Amino acid sequence: MVFNRNLRALIVVILLAGACLAFQRRGRLPFLDDEDEPEPYPADAGEKTEWVFARLRYNSYRQGAGMWGVRGSWSTDYPKAERHFAQGIRRLSRVHVRSVEEVVDLDTDKIFDYPWIYGVEVGHWDLSDSQAAKLREYLTRGGFLMVDDFHGSIEWEIFMRSMSRVFPDRPVVDIPNKDAIFHMLFDLDNRVQIPGIVMFYTGQTYEQDGVTEKWGGIYDEKGRIMVAMCHNMDLGDAWEHADMPQYPERYTSMAYRIGLNYIIYSMTH
Amino acid sequence: MFEALFLYPYRLFTRGEFLFASGWPAWVLLLLMLIAIAGTGYWVWRHHGGNFAGRRWIAVAALQGLVLALLLFLLWRPALRVTALKPQQNVIAVVVDDSRSMQLKHEDLPRLEAARKLLSGGLLEKLRNRFQVRVYRAGNYLERIQGLDALTGAQPATHLGLSMKQMMEESASLPIGAVVLLTDGSDNSGGLEADTLSEIRRRKIPIHSVGFGAEKLARDLEVLDLDVPQRALSDSRIGAAITLRHFGLNGQKAKLALLADEKIVASREVILGAEGVPQTETLLFNAGLAGARNVRASVVKLEGEENPSNNAQSRLINVESLKPRILYIEGEPKWDFKFIRRALEGDRNLQLTTMLRTTQNKIYRQGVEDPKELEQGFPGKEEELFKFSGLIIGGIEASYFTPQQQAMIRNFADRRGGGVLFLAGRGAFADGGWAASPVAEMIPVTLADRKGTFHRDPATAELTGAGRDSLIVRIEEDAKKNEERWRKLPYLANYQETGPAKPGATVLVDALPTSKGRHPLFVTQRYGRGRVSVFASSGTWRWQMLQDVKDLSHEVFWQQTLRWLVTETPPQVSATPSKQLLLDDGQVEFRADVRDPAYKPLAGATVEARILGPGGAAAMLPLTPDSSQTGLFTARWDAPKSGNYVVEVLARNGKEEMGRDVFTLSRQDGIAENFHAGQNRQLLEGLSRQTGGNYYTPASAQALPDDIAYSEAGITTRETKDLWNMPALLLALFGAKAAEWLLRRRWGAV
Repeated sequence: MVFNRNLRALIVVILLAGACLAFQRRGRLPFLDDEDEPEPYPADAGEKTEWVFARLRYNSYRQGAGMWGVRGSWSTDYPKAERHFAQGIRRLSRVHVRSVEEVVDLDTDKIFDYPWIYGVEVGHWDLSDSQAAKLREYLTRGGFLMVDDFHGSIEWEIFMRSMSRVFPDRPVVDIPNKDAIFHMLFDLDNRVQIPGIVMFYTGQTYEQDGVTEKWGGIYDEKGRIMVAMCHNMDLGDAWEHADMPQYPERYTSMAYRIGLNYIIYSMTH
Repeated sequence: MFEALFLYPYRLFTRGEFLFASGWPAWVLLLLMLIAIAGTGYWVWRHHGGNFAGRRWIAVAALQGLVLALLLFLLWRPALRVTALKPQQNVIAVVVDDSRSMQLKHEDLPRLEAARKLLSGGLLEKLRNRFQVRVYRAGNYLERIQGLDALTGAQPATHLGLSMKQMMEESASLPIGAVVLLTDGSDNSGGLEADTLSEIRRRKIPIHSVGFGAEKLARDLEVLDLDVPQRALSDSRIGAAITLRHFGLNGQKAKLALLADEKIVASREVILGAEGVPQTETLLFNAGLAGARNVRASVVKLEGEENPSNNAQSRLINVESLKPRILYIEGEPKWDFKFIRRALEGDRNLQLTTMLRTTQNKIYRQGVEDPKELEQGFPGKEEELFKFSGLIIGGIEASYFTPQQQAMIRNFADRRGGGVLFLAGRGAFADGGWAASPVAEMIPVTLADRKGTFHRDPATAELTGAGRDSLIVRIEEDAKKNEERWRKLPYLANYQETGPAKPGATVLVDALPTSKGRHPLFVTQRYGRGRVSVFASSGTWRWQMLQDVKDLSHEVFWQQTLRWLVTETPPQVSATPSKQLLLDDGQVEFRADVRDPAYKPLAGATVEARILGPGGAAAMLPLTPDSSQTGLFTARWDAPKSGNYVVEVLARNGKEEMGRDVFTLSRQDGIAENFHAGQNRQLLEGLSRQTGGNYYTPASAQALPDDIAYSEAGITTRETKDLWNMPALLLALFGAKAAEWLLRRRWGAV
């Protein structure tokens, strides 16, 4: 009898855990996930380089604090997006790039060794006060944050809940076309909304109510961009699926150009 | 004692000419002496040799020979011929230092009072008994006085050289037999000029000096020197090296302050070190806004100080509102590029123009004056490159530059006088093929002849001995704190093995890789008219990213380094005064180096100086070509009064203006007298020695009237003084015979 009760409890726990995982990964297409199609580890992964794609690992809004162990939103497109993008940077510029990424978080000082970081799906992030303070210190010292793949008003709201604690006194503004960031390596006056892979199923370039793309930024007191936001867009998907015939090349090209401009901007301003 | 033995004073022997009054040839005397000694020796050996054991007979023979030789010497009548002043026919000039330093103590009395006491206590009377005496006082100039009451000790300066020169001019028709100079030797103009000294020696006038005052004061703290740059960029941090010296204040604390236009800009408490040893303290301060800035270093008077008026020194700094431009070309995007740019954004007086090679064929330019500037890439003409004052070559291969551009890089330092900084990177130094380029000659390290010298491995930076003293790498004002600060800096992200520093180069900082080894990190040297340096890392960005945002180590280091790179870069027209600080004497020479836009010397320019003096007084002065150097123009000028002067030098080539330069100078009257207030005995002894006179203390000056009589100046007579009757010679004769007799008795041969 006791055995049956324990067995029933175990089954309930397993079912609940499965439901949680399914909830967390809803809307994701299993066949597109890297785990189903793992990216080979490059032979030159150990090369010491000037620039490294540093992916920001954060607590997701629906996660409890300290649950790094569960793959959260931070790892979306990981690691294929950055490895594809790294190859593009090598091909298109003189930036000395490592072929593999580095994962950094806001709980240690390792982040300060990577003056450029990338945050994906930040419409799900949830920074603690100490993490927000560290990100502020990082950006004030000269670090650069690019955020991407968050859509619609709800995710914006969630993003801003943390971001406004990073810089309570600095507004998010639309980066004007004339800003140097759009004219570094490529002149990008005619930018387009970069859709995610979900476009295949919905037939539209936006998600949720994020119809129009937003090129947002937070500037420091000397007019330099510290945080660049690609809202209502998914450059990560465009990098990740650069080798996918179905994904339109024009979006991948634009995503590469934007990414490169952001990187070179961060290394010059 | 000397006179008792030799009849005459020692000084007579130094001045007189030795001779034999008999008139017989000296060689005959020598020959006879030899014969006498040899004959005596033979006779003693022949007749008495057997009476002495061993070779004792030699001692007896030598003493007998000596007696015979001395007798022969006396027969020849040795004598001394001296030139002496004729009594009452010569003038003795008594010159008394009447400057303020003579009011300081000599033992218990003021120095001037001691001099007056010496003169009125018999010295003057003794001189007057034998000579005509004229009394003068010396200060800014020489003035004859009728009595000692005219001495006041109020003259603001002592110009011994000028006074002696005046004396020579005024006494050209007088039979001056000697000059007696009573002074503390505290001269403000560096002693006698060569032409004055040569005139004194030509007229054979001896200067006898009597020194007053202790050679060092018992308790005194003095600001010996204040060393600040003559020019500075506005808002720049500059260093003032203040040299202190003290006597009798070992281990005491002194408050040192630096004032700019009478506002305290830096201060520190210092502990005084060893007595009499100059001690240099460095204070850093902000130069402030453009304009002439009066900087004064001052120490607070300590208890019991004898001479507090030497506790401060002032200098004038010309703070310029220039914005020197630096061109930085980098071979690939790198973090240090961004962070150096950011560091310079905090410097309002440096303009950084950058060229970044983002792709093989694309250059991203920042800080250009107009969209066309550098559009075609790195300058291809000297006129274009030489607009910049500094040049930074980042990690970019030598082959990126044409041979002509490489020559221009060299000329940038050599001829233009600019500063060139080479940075590390994958394309830098040996890895970039620079070792085989003509530019290698100017790089202050001997580049390694191999690839793979750039390492993306951590390294710490450590100040060398030279670095500890250098202001370029002074992040903290205090030298010890600065060393500690460097030790605590986060490690560099990378380093490059450059090879050893060349002879003449200065290594300021070493890189210590965490693996092993030590390599020069920051090396500087002069090259031609300019400066060249190497910074063998591109990983200082970690100093910014790994430290609190309030920490300014990275910014300060790069701002100071790049300011050092350009501060001394001369403009096309570069003007300087021969002296910036004129002490009691307004004589100064202006020099202007005039160059064309390619910085080649320009011979045919028209150059003039516009001078603005105290109270708004203005003057114009043309500068004329100097034959010693093409493109150099000079003019002499006399600053008429105490105060600050601003001089603008303008050069034209035909109607075209070549450029203009501004410098400042300051004339300070009556200040120098307060310094070096101890008796300068060395100066006085040298002066007397060079002119054939003697140095005396007040106590030994009683012998002066007798000594002074022997001089070759003025109206003289020649006297011959016999020496044969010197007691010393008679003593020698008797001594030799007595010694012989004693030896014979001892040896039993009497």
